[in-house]
Amino acid sequence: MEKQTKNKNLKNRAAQFWKTGLLLLLTAIILTVPLPAQKRMIQIKGSDTLVNLVQVLAEEYMAKNPGAAIAVLGGGSGTGITALINGTCDLADHSREWKQKELDLAYEKGVKPRIFAIAIDALSIVVNEKNPIDILTMAQVGSIFRGEIKNWKVLGGADQKISLYGRQSNSGTYAFLQEHVLNNKNYSPEVKEMNGNAQIIEAVTQDLSGIGYVGVGYLYDENGNVRRGIKVLKIKKDENAPAFSPLDKEAVYSAKYAISRPLYQSTNGKPSGLAADFIRFELSPEGQAIVEKEGFFKIGQELMEQNLKNLK
Amino acid sequence: MSFKTKTRNLRVAQFFLCLLVFAWLMQLMATEAKAQQKISTTIYFDYTYYLSNQGPITNSQGDPNFKNNFFTFRRAYFRYDNKINDHLSFRLTFDGDYVKSVDAQGKKDDKFRPFLKHLYFQLTDIIPASELKAGMIDTITFKLAEDRWGYRSVAKELLDNFKDVTGKDIDAYSADAGISLTGKIIRQLRYGLMLANGAGYAHPEGDKYKKLMGQIQVIPLAGISIVGYTDYEKQGPGAKALTYKADFYLEAIKNLILGAEYFVYRNDLNITSTGQRFDRSGYSIFGRYVLLPDKLNAFARLDRYEPNSLSPQDETYLTIAGLDWALLTSNLKLQPNIWFYHYTDPNKKNDVVFNLTFFMSF
Repeated sequence: MEKQTKNKNLKNRAAQFWKTGLLLLLTAIILTVPLPAQKRMIQIKGSDTLVNLVQVLAEEYMAKNPGAAIAVLGGGSGTGITALINGTCDLADHSREWKQKELDLAYEKGVKPRIFAIAIDALSIVVNEKNPIDILTMAQVGSIFRGEIKNWKVLGGADQKISLYGRQSNSGTYAFLQEHVLNNKNYSPEVKEMNGNAQIIEAVTQDLSGIGYVGVGYLYDENGNVRRGIKVLKIKKDENAPAFSPLDKEAVYSAKYAISRPLYQSTNGKPSGLAADFIRFELSPEGQAIVEKEGFFKIGQELMEQNLKNLK
Repeated sequence: MSFKTKTRNLRVAQFFLCLLVFAWLMQLMATEAKAQQKISTTIYFDYTYYLSNQGPITNSQGDPNFKNNFFTFRRAYFRYDNKINDHLSFRLTFDGDYVKSVDAQGKKDDKFRPFLKHLYFQLTDIIPASELKAGMIDTITFKLAEDRWGYRSVAKELLDNFKDVTGKDIDAYSADAGISLTGKIIRQLRYGLMLANGAGYAHPEGDKYKKLMGQIQVIPLAGISIVGYTDYEKQGPGAKALTYKADFYLEAIKNLILGAEYFVYRNDLNITSTGQRFDRSGYSIFGRYVLLPDKLNAFARLDRYEPNSLSPQDETYLTIAGLDWALLTSNLKLQPNIWFYHYTDPNKKNDVVFNLTFFMSF
């Protein structure tokens, strides 16, 4: 009899606990989780080079489309692509193409990437404004970041050890420079790995012997002028070629500037709803005007046609 | 040349080969000494409440100190990753668990103690599209299934979980000292090979035999995987242990992952008093669904475990269901979950356990 009563008490207590706990949990979830019906929302993750530009595009889009919510996060191209594969973002920003390993993983997980070029970047090599060097060849840039040229004196500068500033390996800019300028060889272990483009600019501004690489959009201040404290180097394809600056629009559009690249967004499969609408806005004349205003370059006809095909 | 001289020469050659490999690794490390280093931590602990008190797990069995609800730190991983360059990286992981200890004076405790889980280097693309790991490494036994299940914080994968429940019924470890090679042959075909002690990370090698593991993953269509796995370890003269496992994963539907595993463990030392060999087997069907990306997921799983193929009414069915809720950030999650055990033995009543799992990573 006593045992039965005890069992009954235990059962009642368990039922009470369960009910209260469930109620508390549901209340908390409802209070903290934005329900999809309340807001149209997409999440964008990835390239640090793109984060400021996409943030501005998103703000402009949201101002025109009340009720739409777009969250933009950085973290690097690799982080964005991984998030898209894992289904934790709707759009991935990336400043390099997908690696074979990522494409294989996407296939394994049933993710079918659709890739859109939304802007063109001229990858810029920056030094401190007091550095006398104005021009480097692609080969020299490669040698510097591989750690083969260690002193500015070798290049006609002051007798100073070169301080290298770069990005972490999850950065698309890191991968792009490695592939196209360092000939797929390893970076020097002396490269100080910064979290983003802005930190590289800041470091080079402070360091007389510093050199770094950043997306062209990060060269300008809020007034559209090149930031004080840095010098943007002209780049020659080889020793005999003419030198061009990433600030020279004509040189970038005509592909005379040697290290330019498209900046991408990817979706899983054909984009729909808010994601598709936002991409259309980015590709529209209005969106492309924002791209230029932010220091980047508009995409050309060929890429635009490919984009429109991918939207269908 | 005498046999003795030949053997000596072979040993000298082996020594120099080892020396060469070591020197090459040292050179790689020396030239690229500075690298990307990362320290990370993952912790999960539970508040557990027994919703029934009748089954073998939740029954007090007359113990006056029996706890009906309690907090438990289940795991704490402290990880150091060092990416030397695009082809070479190192990982060191300390795991934490309640480990019993007795000192010289006979004083006992079971404090939460750290122990080594991983200590390995990884070479990428030593042959195209491959990863070679050597040291104390993840085994290939259930890595793919564990990744798909995705809730190690809530429950271990099928083999791993029932190995724990039953003590040492099944030889399956998440990490072991050895060497593994995984990679891709073509996009639709991946492989995994591993040679290890077979003793797991918790013990040093206990016998002279090594465990050989092999795995093939076929991906006929994007998002659909079929995996075949087998391992072999000699147990003694004329005795061997084999595990056969088949997995299926469906990831082609947006926000949904479904998986199924089936295994048979065959050990010649598992014999009844009449000398008949019995096998152990089990299956697991699991799924998780993203309700809101980065915010709220739901998951569920059904396991069946058969500890003795010759014994009737000894199977255990385990159903797990729960939610995964990112409180403010994805680094901090609450994962309320219920475990429902059903035993085919009519003398065993069901167990029902509620866990509020706290997941933290930083």
